Amino acid sequence: MDQLNFTGKHKTVLIGFMILGLVCMGLTFAFDDELHTRFWSNYLHNSVFFTGIAFISVFVLAAFITALAGWHVIFKRVWEAYAQFLLVGLGLMLLVIIGIWGHFHHLYHWADKEAVAADPILSGKSSFLNPVWYTLGTILILGTWAFFAWKLRQLSLDEDKNGTADFDHHRRMRIWAAAFLPIAGFTSAAMVWQWVMSVDAHWYSTLFAWYTTASWFLSAVSLTILTLVFLKSQGYLEKVTFDHLHDLGKYMFAFSIFWTYLWFSQYMLIWYGNVGEETVYYRHRLDHYPVLFYGNLLLNFVAPFFILMRNDNKRKYGTLVFTSVIVFFGHWWDFFQMIKPGVRITAMEALAHHASGHGEHAEHATEAAHHAVDFAMGFSIPGLLEIGTMLGFLALFLYFVLNRMSKVPFTAKNDPYWEETTHHVVEIHDVEQVLGHH
Amino acid sequence: MRNANKEVLYGLYDDEEVLLKAVVKAQHEHRTIMDVFTPFPVHGLDPALGLSESRLHIAGFVYGAIGTLTALLFMTWVFTRDWPIIFGGKPYFSLPAFIPITFEVTVLFASIGMVVTFYTICGMAPGVTNPTLDDRITDDKFCIAFDVTNADADEKSDIQSFLSGSGASEVNTKNI
Repeated sequence: MDQLNFTGKHKTVLIGFMILGLVCMGLTFAFDDELHTRFWSNYLHNSVFFTGIAFISVFVLAAFITALAGWHVIFKRVWEAYAQFLLVGLGLMLLVIIGIWGHFHHLYHWADKEAVAADPILSGKSSFLNPVWYTLGTILILGTWAFFAWKLRQLSLDEDKNGTADFDHHRRMRIWAAAFLPIAGFTSAAMVWQWVMSVDAHWYSTLFAWYTTASWFLSAVSLTILTLVFLKSQGYLEKVTFDHLHDLGKYMFAFSIFWTYLWFSQYMLIWYGNVGEETVYYRHRLDHYPVLFYGNLLLNFVAPFFILMRNDNKRKYGTLVFTSVIVFFGHWWDFFQMIKPGVRITAMEALAHHASGHGEHAEHATEAAHHAVDFAMGFSIPGLLEIGTMLGFLALFLYFVLNRMSKVPFTAKNDPYWEETTHHVVEIHDVEQVLGHH
Repeated sequence: MRNANKEVLYGLYDDEEVLLKAVVKAQHEHRTIMDVFTPFPVHGLDPALGLSESRLHIAGFVYGAIGTLTALLFMTWVFTRDWPIIFGGKPYFSLPAFIPITFEVTVLFASIGMVVTFYTICGMAPGVTNPTLDDRITDDKFCIAFDVTNADADEKSDIQSFLSGSGASEVNTKNI
């Protein structure tokens, strides 16, 4: 079976989960504070998370094409399909933009004109952190990403039909891919600053973009492993072997360490420097969100590090799937941890401000808001509504991606690396396996 | 020398695939291969020779863990008991400041420990001279060697014909 048959049962299940997600979002909206902080932060969190997975897919494709890698070609249709989700991501982010212009939400402190005018730090940053840039940046950059995702896939699909022996398609793909890498490097940082880091508008970290992108990368790799195992269980991609999964497992292992390295570097430098306006980020999380903070490290470092350390564990479906689920959920948790505390402060300040009216009470209320961060479901830890919302977004992602996938064959038969990828061997356990190839 | 006066019959192959097939053939015919020499690691040679997975990495993990503990305990002892100094207003026991050094010592212990273990297993040390069968096995030849010290003429010619029959471009004998 070279083409995915995406019908019936799977569609029903995914639509079911999408409805569940919508119900959860509706419930969140209905039982929220008057600014609907929990609803909007959930929406931003999941939109950024799944858009990032799509971005990483096109980035990884471009990186692998540029590096003349061949091992992934056997499942490159999966990443090509993932990458097309960028267009949906653009739609999702547009709603956040509409919310900024229409003042439907208070996700970003810098979007509040009055607050910016009264605040020297925010007004200093306002040439970058403003609604116009947010809008333009998101539309232009997400649009660029989506264009490259479309272009690479379109060339790859055309290669199936009109591929020639001089690999003209692949040569063109290499140009597009190489052009995309620097663009992706700079623009992803800009997007991460605007979408995620600016929820803590006073705070900044130069490492943040790397750290967030590493988080996206791990989400994409773990979801890829899960998708491949699912497709194999349905009888597709039978040529994807343990060796391909082993390499994906290595990526998950290595990048988990890389993520931890960045996580720790950011933490240690701020801890060592001990500059109040930087440490506030961690002080706040350590004091009020210990479960989020330490859980993050447990899910994203301790678990994958010790489970995937042994070589054999990367070659077992069970362990690999188990770890992928942990890592996927772990990085979703990481984004939750990045977004929620900052959004919550902004919302509390805004609420206190509204309640006290203008004048001298305002400052007092703001002060009070900083201390009123008791345990709250959906902020201190993800609640059931957050899980439901995530499942809804995941179902939307998978529905779109599987639908894209079902339109084209899995086999990229004219790809110059097709032979290489079907004979990809990481570790030989049976010598007949290698002799059989020749 | 340790293995002095050993008579070795060996075949030289030009290609690693031919070598790999010859090794598999020898295993099927239940011949006892003394050793195989290649200029670079050949994929699939270990399982073909029936070698089990190396346990060197387990030793590496143990050395690394010892390194982690050594660094953490030593720094903790120095900075809390033996010579407490305040750096930058931080507490005596400052775990984040210890982590980079802990990491380095872990790597150091693991790497040095594994190198020493590997050299010990292989019988390598400064001053040891290891006899080579043929200089070209470090360049472009692949070699299968049989120990024929106690073999009679029939057995030797049988091995000889196996080597040339399985694609060896040269068959030689050498006393090492």
